[in-house]
Amino acid sequence: MTSRRQLLRATAVGAFALAAPARLRAADPIKVGALFPLSGGAAPQGQHVTQAIEIAAAMVNEAGGVLGRPVQIIKRDDESTPAVGVSRANELIAEGVAVIIEGWNSPVTLATQTVIARAGVLDITAVSKADPILTGGGNPLAVRLNSSNAQDGRVIAEHLKATGAKRIAFLTQNDAYGNGAQASIEAQLKAVDHVWEKVGEEKFPFAQADFRVALTNIRGVNADAVVAINANEGSGLPALIRQARQMRLRGEFVTAVGTVAPSVISVAGEAANGIIGADIYFPNVEPFASNPVNQQFVKRAEEGIKYTPDKFMALGAAALQVWAAAANELKTLEREAIARRIRGGSFKGTVFGDVSFAADGQMQSSHHLFSVKDGKIEVRT
Amino acid sequence: MTGALRLAALLVSAVVVFLLPAQVPALYGAFTVIAILAVAAYGLDIVLSDLGEVSLAHTVFFAAGAYATGLLATRAGAGSWATLGAALLAGVAIALLLGLITLRLREFVFSLVTYAATVVAAALAHNWNFLGGSDGVSGIPTFDLSIGPLALTARNDAELWPFAFALLLVTLYAVRQFRRSRPGAMAMMVHLNPRLATMSGIDVRRVRLGIFVLSALFSAAAGWLYAYQRAYVGPDLFETYFLVLMLTAVVIIGKRLLLGPLLGTALIIGQERFLSFGGDVNAVILGGALIVALAFLPGGLASAFTGLAARVSTKKDPREDVVDA
Repeated sequence: MTSRRQLLRATAVGAFALAAPARLRAADPIKVGALFPLSGGAAPQGQHVTQAIEIAAAMVNEAGGVLGRPVQIIKRDDESTPAVGVSRANELIAEGVAVIIEGWNSPVTLATQTVIARAGVLDITAVSKADPILTGGGNPLAVRLNSSNAQDGRVIAEHLKATGAKRIAFLTQNDAYGNGAQASIEAQLKAVDHVWEKVGEEKFPFAQADFRVALTNIRGVNADAVVAINANEGSGLPALIRQARQMRLRGEFVTAVGTVAPSVISVAGEAANGIIGADIYFPNVEPFASNPVNQQFVKRAEEGIKYTPDKFMALGAAALQVWAAAANELKTLEREAIARRIRGGSFKGTVFGDVSFAADGQMQSSHHLFSVKDGKIEVRT
Repeated sequence: MTGALRLAALLVSAVVVFLLPAQVPALYGAFTVIAILAVAAYGLDIVLSDLGEVSLAHTVFFAAGAYATGLLATRAGAGSWATLGAALLAGVAIALLLGLITLRLREFVFSLVTYAATVVAAALAHNWNFLGGSDGVSGIPTFDLSIGPLALTARNDAELWPFAFALLLVTLYAVRQFRRSRPGAMAMMVHLNPRLATMSGIDVRRVRLGIFVLSALFSAAAGWLYAYQRAYVGPDLFETYFLVLMLTAVVIIGKRLLLGPLLGTALIIGQERFLSFGGDVNAVILGGALIVALAFLPGGLASAFTGLAARVSTKKDPREDVVDA
């Protein structure tokens, strides 16, 4: 005959067994896709961004995860190729990811965003800058963290006005990015009521590394400021900076926002001293230096991957932090609800500090001007 | 194997291939892309195998179909039937222009001019705002071939697969019929003995132009469906990836084999999807396969297997004789 104690024990075991699947489900990780170039020319940067997302995921997990579950990063290589990006995005969708953080190269983002949106998966663009990412209709719930061309143009225009540059020349990469960036600076110069004259304009393809003919033409126009828009940070921009110095180009040398990374200064050498630039993140400069979340992020990156995070890594980390905050607040992983919370919303405690997003999904960045002195970036207050 | 048996085997194979992704849903994406890119490769196959010229402009026809689709669908709200017509028209128009320019050119010079055309087209796509510049055209609406109450739509790879499969079947049938037709025979004669062709009353230039334009139809149709599969078209369509993929797909199995480009495309995409070693290594594998096929296997893998089988059977025969004795 079964005793009462045995019955109770059996009931408890049964209840535990029935509850087990639910408990296991609760502990199942939430998969997050990271889609960046992990091979090819942009591989080092893509790998850094992916590592930054993993660092941010570890920070989120230590703080309790998302909906009480750990976050697991599943990374894929888009190979900087739209066709491959679409394939890899489909793989991530098939893996059942809750969100895909992607976007180093704009054409890859433009190709993948529609596929991700149609699959009902949340898509957060970390770095790609093309305007159609937010306006092209590929993803009506698009979210992007990197600054837009319009935001970038404003800070350069305000600097040119502040320095009283009247005769301005442009050295511009001849593609959608370069032409868009120049158009934005020109529009913002008008918006800030600055009276100026375009005294020179030279266009060049992305891969160009010899600018001597263009620089000779620009030198002849006696510009007060020369604006260089060149996103080829590996070879083109350092070559342009060096050749401009060798040709003793007159006027202040102003670079487009986000193009002068420490690696550019390292390759350009002494020629980089004196150039002006602007960016939205510096790991060890205020207001970022005193931000405890950023401090922790920088420390983990320096200890874990022996690399001081750059802006691109910060963007990747912030993308994950913003998504995690929205999901925890709303207690859901549902794409539309989270996207609507982010678009037009504000978040505290990211590597960028407190951030807010415009209604179209664009993160509002705070730009900081800097100059290069003795091979180091000196942020202007 | 008798004709009826062969037909039955082909039908069974086709049904199995068609139903396979339903059993393994992860295959839908790969199978759809294989079907689309194989159709693009058949365009090149006709020029390479039947006309004997190496065209390096078929990515232009492929891209022309995709761009015509993307532009019409996003800016004019055109449906998939209209974009199909526009894609074919765009491919034919460019092929006609390029065909007329290259009418007198042969072999190396022909290849060089077709490559130059690809470079010009890529530069135009990168810099012409009308084509979307380097950002391309995004937000292409979902595929919709509905006729009246008959709903024929596709929002993802699984739904697009039947249409890609149908396009592939139509292409296979068209290529097979072309090779059995009088124009197909004329193309071979123009390829193998142009003087004899002229003496036989064949207008060599007209045949060359006709084949070139016909080939563009296949690549442009593939571009049409590819635009819907990706929902985005951009200048990357002109990259060497697509050109090398098409060339390798045509030569790796063997030229003028009906299933050659399909199997070649399946090998390449299969490796990329399921045995990927990263972008750089994949590019080396793809380029390496093209080099090996051209340098060491001029008849492709099919002839290598045939040769191997012949050797095995030659070695086997004496033993059989001994046994028989």
